[in-house]
Amino acid sequence: MAFELKADGLSEVSELLGKMEDRAPAVAGKALYDGAGIMAAELSKSAESIKTAPFKYAGNGNTRLPSPEEKEIVMAAGTGIAKFDKNGAEVNTSVGYRNAGYADLNGKKKPIPLIVNSINSGTSFMQKQPFVRKAANSGGKKSIEAMKKVIETEFEAMSKK
Amino acid sequence: MPDEFTTLVTALKSLTQTENGSEITLPVAEDEWYTRPDVVSYGIVSLDFEADALRGDNVKQTTSYEGSVDLFSLVKSGAGWVELITQTLTEYCGGSWNLNSHMYERETSLFHWEWTFEVSG
Repeated sequence: MAFELKADGLSEVSELLGKMEDRAPAVAGKALYDGAGIMAAELSKSAESIKTAPFKYAGNGNTRLPSPEEKEIVMAAGTGIAKFDKNGAEVNTSVGYRNAGYADLNGKKKPIPLIVNSINSGTSFMQKQPFVRKAANSGGKKSIEAMKKVIETEFEAMSKK
Repeated sequence: MPDEFTTLVTALKSLTQTENGSEITLPVAEDEWYTRPDVVSYGIVSLDFEADALRGDNVKQTTSYEGSVDLFSLVKSGAGWVELITQTLTEYCGGSWNLNSHMYERETSLFHWEWTFEVSG
């Protein structure tokens, strides 16, 4: 990611670089928070497009679409951003579902991550709908642009001080 | 359908290997099986969504699509189909493919490989 900074003289350049080093983790965290927020929103939006059909047991080798109840579980699990993992100026996080517990499905407790994975990757009895990959693809560029904007604004403000 | 995808589907549908002296073909469905084939291994190939586009002169000059290949097998090693599928993906998609997931279905005892790839059209 390239951006421009203006400085008069070498002493100012050195001062700016020092400031950047100190502020880099905070700026990276702020940018990542915005970027991850966009990814989480894209994931929620993408889950809305899951096609459903009333539940029926996929017996006799038949495959089926997810049921409206399964979609409801995915939607209700809610997307979120994981706690930031900071290592110097490097900040990492993950975007996923907040509720990684169990949900009631046809009278049985089923793990929510398993339901999400079954819909996203498909199984031998459920037709796949890759909504997570779709969200990652469509949200990626928007997310990078948003992070770039935060970094530019923050460093521009720093160079004016 | 992009031509690159059509040729990949044709190649995947004609994958064969010799087993116990006779030649077997991998049953491959485009998009989905509505009734799963009663075999040791089978595949699914689908074009999932538009991944990217290069625009110019008010038109899309090139569009790339993301798709996936799924292999289900009762054999842990994939009964030789894993190698054949990856060779086919390298031949038709170059380096733009990867193994996205490898899972095991306890209910059906099936091993599931999922590769994603990109083709242009």
